[in-house]
Amino acid sequence: MVKGSGQTAQGCIEYLYADHHGWLKAWLLRRLGNSSDAADLTQDVFVRLILRPAPKGLNSSGEARAYLRRMANGMCIDLWRRRSLEQAWLESLAHQPEALMPSAEQQVMVLQALQEIDQLLLSLPAKAASAFVMAVGCEMSDREVAEELGISTRMVRKHVARVMLHCMQLEARHLAADPGILRVGS
Amino acid sequence: MMEQDHAQLTEPSYQVMEQAAEWFALLRSGEATAAQQLAWQQWLQASVEHQRAWFYVERIGQRFEPIQVSPVRSAAVSAFCQVQNQQARRRQVLRGLLVLSGSSLLGWAGWQQTTQFRLPMADYHTATGEIRMLALQDGTHVWLNALSAVNEQYQPHQRQLTLVSGEMLVQTAPDPSRQFIVTTPYGQLRALGTRFSVRLEDHHVLVAVYDGAVEIQTAWHGTTQIIPAGSQARFTDERIFSAEPADPAREAWSRGILIAQDIPLTELITELRRYYSGHLSLSPDAAELRVFGSYPVTDIEQTLSMLESVLPIQIQVPFPGWKRIRLKRST
Repeated sequence: MVKGSGQTAQGCIEYLYADHHGWLKAWLLRRLGNSSDAADLTQDVFVRLILRPAPKGLNSSGEARAYLRRMANGMCIDLWRRRSLEQAWLESLAHQPEALMPSAEQQVMVLQALQEIDQLLLSLPAKAASAFVMAVGCEMSDREVAEELGISTRMVRKHVARVMLHCMQLEARHLAADPGILRVGS
Repeated sequence: MMEQDHAQLTEPSYQVMEQAAEWFALLRSGEATAAQQLAWQQWLQASVEHQRAWFYVERIGQRFEPIQVSPVRSAAVSAFCQVQNQQARRRQVLRGLLVLSGSSLLGWAGWQQTTQFRLPMADYHTATGEIRMLALQDGTHVWLNALSAVNEQYQPHQRQLTLVSGEMLVQTAPDPSRQFIVTTPYGQLRALGTRFSVRLEDHHVLVAVYDGAVEIQTAWHGTTQIIPAGSQARFTDERIFSAEPADPAREAWSRGILIAQDIPLTELITELRRYYSGHLSLSPDAAELRVFGSYPVTDIEQTLSMLESVLPIQIQVPFPGWKRIRLKRST
């Protein structure tokens, strides 16, 4: 049983792990259809829970499972998102001429940059995110982006500005939470 | 120029961040004039706060460097855009599907499926010509229009439906402890004791309220507005258009009736196509004929013969499953 909110976070985690670890793994396996992914994500869920305990505590087994399931849902979505981006990148690479093929290390760097950007742009509409990444990643002019996406140049300008603003605010929040990053970054 | 001391300063205001983002969008557009570039420099020199904001612009730009310098950057960007597209289409479905307990529909293979599987994958969906009434566990009734799909996410603290496609009419049951939310790609609706319809169109959502009130909150800007009974409003992810009187047609379909009040025939036909699994074509010269009246949508033959009796049109059937509507030739 999960103990009440009087329990320390650490104690809680132990109970949670003992009571729900197997269940969560089975649940994830049903969703992912792959036992090593399910095992990885199960670990990730508990690690994340140690770093950031449930805000109101988990007062019953049902509540604990609902909470774990919600976390696991979010992580499945992230995983699928990362996978599909990787898949699309590999497919896209496969169509490139041999002469242009980047080294394995460069391929990974580009993929990482894409995934970081994808995380930043997660909550934005697809058109806006695409316009921004085309404009900045490929250094395309507004007119070129507009043609590519079938929208007006005015919309491209608007998308680029608002996506940039969104990123700047995330960045500012991120730096405020951890000012140390700045010393390295700049 | 961007020095670390800036970190010690207070954060730039929202307005200044916005200005910096707009400068960035202009300068990189390929359309900035020399005068505008000069103006930007003056803006940048004008205050430390401006410089601080520009520092963020540069940091975001740096994240793109590995892509910008890659010889295959267009492949990288096209991969990104492709995934964005797929996910925009699937986002709603996925959110709903993952909460179905005990379902293993969505393995990696499911993820790879294209949007044509969208409807059957939702919790509730209707086919062409099908209107379905759902009685939910809390006593709420939902009428799902033809070719529509909805996911149900009832939780201890709130009741939520996600409209994946098409249109639904909701009659909520009161529950003081749990609010009732409808989510759409463009924003969410909070029911304030009520009967209302929600229709997902290509670029916006139409909400019509028949009883009680509904609060709209747009997805992008978070703009909110309360729509009272007897009104309807369209909204996109960034704005809510002004309310107008509610169209009775948006409720009547739940009884299998389509009400036309002085609309062009083409609009009525577009609507009818949702209920007819064959092909319904309309010649351009008949498109603008005005239509009035109530039509039984689930009986296409009846509806077409009613139209034929009141409008100068004739219905041809080139072969079974294809009905062609054209202007009647004068004899």
